[in-house]
Amino acid sequence: MQIDMREEADITVCRIKGDVDINSSPNVRKFFENIIKEKKKKVVVDFSEVNYVDSSGLATLVEILKKMRVYGGKLKMANLSERVLGLFEITKLDKLFDIVNGEAVKNFE
Amino acid sequence: MLVKIRSEIGNEKHLLKGESARLVELLGEHGVDENTIFDIRISFEEVLRNAMLHGNKESKHKKVKIETEITDECVTISVEDEGEGFDIRKIPDPTCEENLLKEGGRGVFLVQNLMDEVEYLNGGRKVVMKKAF
Repeated sequence: MQIDMREEADITVCRIKGDVDINSSPNVRKFFENIIKEKKKKVVVDFSEVNYVDSSGLATLVEILKKMRVYGGKLKMANLSERVLGLFEITKLDKLFDIVNGEAVKNFE
Repeated sequence: MLVKIRSEIGNEKHLLKGESARLVELLGEHGVDENTIFDIRISFEEVLRNAMLHGNKESKHKKVKIETEITDECVTISVEDEGEGFDIRKIPDPTCEENLLKEGGRGVFLVQNLMDEVEYLNGGRKVVMKKAF
């Protein structure tokens, strides 16, 4: 698993490559700790290269969302594959997360 | 064609991924479609992780027994730990409004939704799950 980060104006885009699961969750958490520490307000997580997420991965994403909400940060999940989106829907996390496709940066409020 | 596999493993995470990779490979060889393999993979890894972490509490002295049977129609997987067991009815529904922001509790729920049949035996120490192709 690898995460690349880029800044587009005031928006931080994090592209995850690989699985978000029991093995990689600690690294995902650690990566986002810095984003949370810097109180980044607008963050897009690009899932276009994520093919597998398990309950550990989902738990880590919920943890990140909760921490960002504390300082008023907004988190968008972009380009989820059909299968990964299905997991968000089954667990009703699609109601909790702002899930978008394509131009997440342009459409950030 | 019928394939039966039995294994007994310790509670290390890398063993979980090894067992899962072997199962995915076998299902692929059987011509099972990718979406079904995805559902089985997640369910298997969730059940195995729960057995190692919550069942055996990662004890070096406890093992997880896995039995897999693949036919042309379906896969049946049994995972049994040596822990104290648990009552499935006491696991809160993670999709309830008040639980949505809780970090844990989604593994069992995912398995119940992704597999066709899930049965908890021996006081919750053994999970038998089935999915048709």
